[in-house]
Amino acid sequence: MTKVRTIVEDQETLQNALDEVRKAQREFAHFTQEEVDKVFLAASVAANQARIPLAKHAVEESGMGCVEDKVIKNHYAAEFVYNKYKDTQTVGIVEEDTSYGIKKVLEPIGVISAIIPTTNPTSTAIFKILIALKTRNGIVISPHPRAKDCTIEAAKIILDAAVKAGAPEGIISWIDVPSLELTQMVMAESDTILATGGPGMVNAAYSSGKPALGVGAGNTPAIIDDSADILLAVNSIIHSKTFDNGMICASEQSVVVLDDVYDEVKKEFAYRNCHFLNDKELDKVRKTIIINGALNSKIVGQPAPVIAELAGINVPETTKILIGEVTDVSLAEEFAHEKLSPVLAMYRADDFDDALDKADRLVKDGGYGHTSALYIDTAAENDRLEKFQNRMKTARILINTPSSQGGIGDIYNFKLTPSLTLGCGTWGGNSVSENVGVKHLLNIKTVAERKENMLWLKTPAKTFFKRGCLPLALDELKTVQNKKRAFIVTDKFLFDNGYTDTITKKLDALGIEHKTFSNVQPDPTLSNVTQGANEMHDFQPDTIIAVGGGSPMDAAKIMWVMYEHPETDFMDLAMRFMDIRKRVLGFPVLGEKAYFVAIPTTAGTGAEVTPFAVITDDESNVKYPLADYQLMPDMAVVDADLMDNAPKGLTAYSGFDAVTHALEAYVSVMASDYTDGLALQALKVAFEYLPRAYKYGAKDPVAREKMGDASTMAGMAFGNAFLGVCHSMAHKLGSQHHVTHGLANALLINEVISFNASETPTKMGTFSQYDHPKALSRYAEIADHLNLGGNTDEEKLENLLDALNELKAEIGIKQTIQEYDVPEKEFLDTLDAMVESAFDDQCTGANPRYPLMSEIKEMYLNAYYGKDR
Amino acid sequence: MEKQVLAERSDKEIYRKGDKVFIKFDSSFSKADILNEALNQSRIEETGLNIPKLHEVRLLDDDQMIVMDYVPGNTLQELMDENPEKMDEYLELFVDLQIAIHQERAPLLNEMHSKMSRKIANSGLNATIRYELDSRLAGMPVHNKVCHGDFNPTNIIITDDEEAYVLDWSHATQGNGSHDAATTYLDFYLKGEKELAEKYRKLYAEKTNTALQYILKWCPIVAAEQLAKGIKENEEFLMRWVDVVEYE
Repeated sequence: MTKVRTIVEDQETLQNALDEVRKAQREFAHFTQEEVDKVFLAASVAANQARIPLAKHAVEESGMGCVEDKVIKNHYAAEFVYNKYKDTQTVGIVEEDTSYGIKKVLEPIGVISAIIPTTNPTSTAIFKILIALKTRNGIVISPHPRAKDCTIEAAKIILDAAVKAGAPEGIISWIDVPSLELTQMVMAESDTILATGGPGMVNAAYSSGKPALGVGAGNTPAIIDDSADILLAVNSIIHSKTFDNGMICASEQSVVVLDDVYDEVKKEFAYRNCHFLNDKELDKVRKTIIINGALNSKIVGQPAPVIAELAGINVPETTKILIGEVTDVSLAEEFAHEKLSPVLAMYRADDFDDALDKADRLVKDGGYGHTSALYIDTAAENDRLEKFQNRMKTARILINTPSSQGGIGDIYNFKLTPSLTLGCGTWGGNSVSENVGVKHLLNIKTVAERKENMLWLKTPAKTFFKRGCLPLALDELKTVQNKKRAFIVTDKFLFDNGYTDTITKKLDALGIEHKTFSNVQPDPTLSNVTQGANEMHDFQPDTIIAVGGGSPMDAAKIMWVMYEHPETDFMDLAMRFMDIRKRVLGFPVLGEKAYFVAIPTTAGTGAEVTPFAVITDDESNVKYPLADYQLMPDMAVVDADLMDNAPKGLTAYSGFDAVTHALEAYVSVMASDYTDGLALQALKVAFEYLPRAYKYGAKDPVAREKMGDASTMAGMAFGNAFLGVCHSMAHKLGSQHHVTHGLANALLINEVISFNASETPTKMGTFSQYDHPKALSRYAEIADHLNLGGNTDEEKLENLLDALNELKAEIGIKQTIQEYDVPEKEFLDTLDAMVESAFDDQCTGANPRYPLMSEIKEMYLNAYYGKDR
Repeated sequence: MEKQVLAERSDKEIYRKGDKVFIKFDSSFSKADILNEALNQSRIEETGLNIPKLHEVRLLDDDQMIVMDYVPGNTLQELMDENPEKMDEYLELFVDLQIAIHQERAPLLNEMHSKMSRKIANSGLNATIRYELDSRLAGMPVHNKVCHGDFNPTNIIITDDEEAYVLDWSHATQGNGSHDAATTYLDFYLKGEKELAEKYRKLYAEKTNTALQYILKWCPIVAAEQLAKGIKENEEFLMRWVDVVEYE
């Protein structure tokens, strides 16, 4: 290094150091992957080469642990971590999907504060620095006072190598004179914290206000099942427990041995120089290792004979582990605590469940979230393994593995991330439950481009039209479909007046058996429909033919559902959705048993080509609007022969319903070029022929036929583009005050158009393709198509509103709600309820202007009073 | 009026005259400490707890004192010594009284956590131990319960009508009740009352629904505070309590 480094010993020097790291990191953030990898390699190699001096230094300074084992830890931290991440991408675009318009970009976090414990003062430092460098972060090391020199030494060695390999100077810094005050300052000033240490330190990290990757206490229990390979189990535990004199946090603290193999296990431990404490010795060791529930610092990382001596007992110099045979798993038992030394508790378990209870308690009291271990014959006792993995609240569950070397990953297992910072999940108060790695030191930016949803044009597979087409269309049932049994659904009026005769005659001629249900009531109820569905069940049709206006067609659709899926719950189907593609409860598949033919006898609802049906619950009197493309008829037959004799009122109201369908579908947020054509043409035809059909009825067969086509075209448009708030409001006005649906639309539509046409709506509708408020120009387009004249969009809008009023006048529709005998008091009393349910109506979502409830209320009031208001 | 000496310390004398108690401080005694003690006492007085009423604080060159009401009666310690068979009853009263104090709030009282960090800083312990203690303290929850800070049976007067008064609020803070309990626990220990200490801890834990171990978690910190007092004969014992670790 070229610069002389200032000693960091107080707040001021630390602030300077932090500033320098931050500056260096800003430069580092621009490094390419290649440049970063060069630094990462150099840092790893330097740490690796210093593994022995660093290990010696650590033991010498801290007075804890074992040099040879610390060499392994340093080696591991340098080599395994490098190996794991050498090819990992940490710079730039890591994921890209052009068709979905999504990419993910990796970004460093900034400055990381790293708390280093005394137990692994060099290896943890190496690990944290390496993952920080790989991710283009700066790092400030906060060493423990008991091991500060060796930690700093490790940091220096890596810094020098990293800088030589091109890293910015000062990318790594550290506190020279550690104190909690400075540690807390580093944590508060950094961008994230890699905290390793006791619960106190981890809590301090979390309370610093910065995101922390903290790890907590471990209290690993190891169960030795009676199916276990005892030789492997005992020697693995010895190998792990003596590693660095028991200072690895994942190290076994207790062995829980099943009764059947207890003696054998004990014999093997004793044979390998582990000392079983007698009662007197046990008490002495208890008092030595734990003081007031805390670990005596003098025993941490000491070899077994040293601890024995501190306790005032004699053991051979070759003793590896002091084992206390104890029974209490609660914290009242000193041996049940984490001991961080070659002192081990041993429990006898009656059976496997007892062993689980004991291990569970040990984990919950002392090592929640950390690590647990099981020795077992995995092939023969898979059930027990499963029980164990379900029961242990630990982030690492190790099988037949020494837990010290197993928990840190990649030595005794594959694919467990090599790490010296082991997340303990929320159980341990941590933000991560896995082994900490580079991914935790990256911010991932997702670049999401605006994309428009896929749209569709869904209509019946076949739509037949032209006056007199019905018998020809029905031919198909035999010639193409080879159907045998048809169930006709209609209402009493139509049946009595022979509307189904053409159909039944034709069916007879085709040799198709048939049955007619003629009891559909206006606004069909659940019980009414159930009645029909029951008959359908008895008859077992392969074809359903709905004949009538909206009610018979809706009723037949619902019967279709009940017939094919008797288990259906209508509450589920009626659940309101925000996007039909994302609805929570899926619709059952229809058409497996019956083919659905819809034959309208009025021009208006369009139900023969829409995926909608409404049903009323008799008990609650609530209307359930159902919407799903499963409800789309397979065949629609539009034959004006069935429409000629519709009464005037019905002609006017249902005709205007069709007009409203087209108007709302055209300005819907989901409108497309496909639906626009249908909507515009439907309007053009309706404006021309609705007055004629109204005026002349059966005497103007052309007008009747044209209106039939207009209604079906409008149905196709709104079956795909959906409707808007006029329908929402009409639904509620209809159900509250018994205003016929088409009439309700007529009374509200001018208000809704004026409302939607605002160029500065309070809120606009939410749909990706709806890019700006454009209802005004859309209405102007309609006016143009109807040749209404006007120079500006505003004029065209006015002309459209006038034309609608004229149309209403021509077909005998009055201007306001109050003119239809809706009493003022009742209207006002129910207004708020209507407003809220209209707001929540399924149709509201497609409206180009997202209405506030207060705005819906205004529209209702205007429509009620008209110009008098 | 006759002067009746109640207690003598190296730097202060406590005596009674009539219905008043006088705490007379040496001229070397810090004015700030005297004011702090008087201020603590007045803040507690405002909570409505049963304590002697403060009347006067005097800070003249050769005449520094605090004057308060005399509360006639026996200390709880005296009663315990005289009636050992009633020990359980007294202990119950003792713990209830402490919990009642913890239920009070005095938002302007000194804060326990900052007092503790000062004590740790001045404990004379080495950097490693201080680091451990500081980390431990930083991990402990910050509460705002009124804590007496030296709650022991000699600081409680039981009047003839069996009303309990609590004296000596010089160590009072607002903070964590379990810390206050750990102080009491350690105090029993230092007096050689090991069994009573355990009994006390168990009763306090039961009544407050806290874990027994949780009170112990404060032990290294309260022991460090005691070390700061510099009483030689306690040093070895206290060091044993202090020198513990809490590793990952």
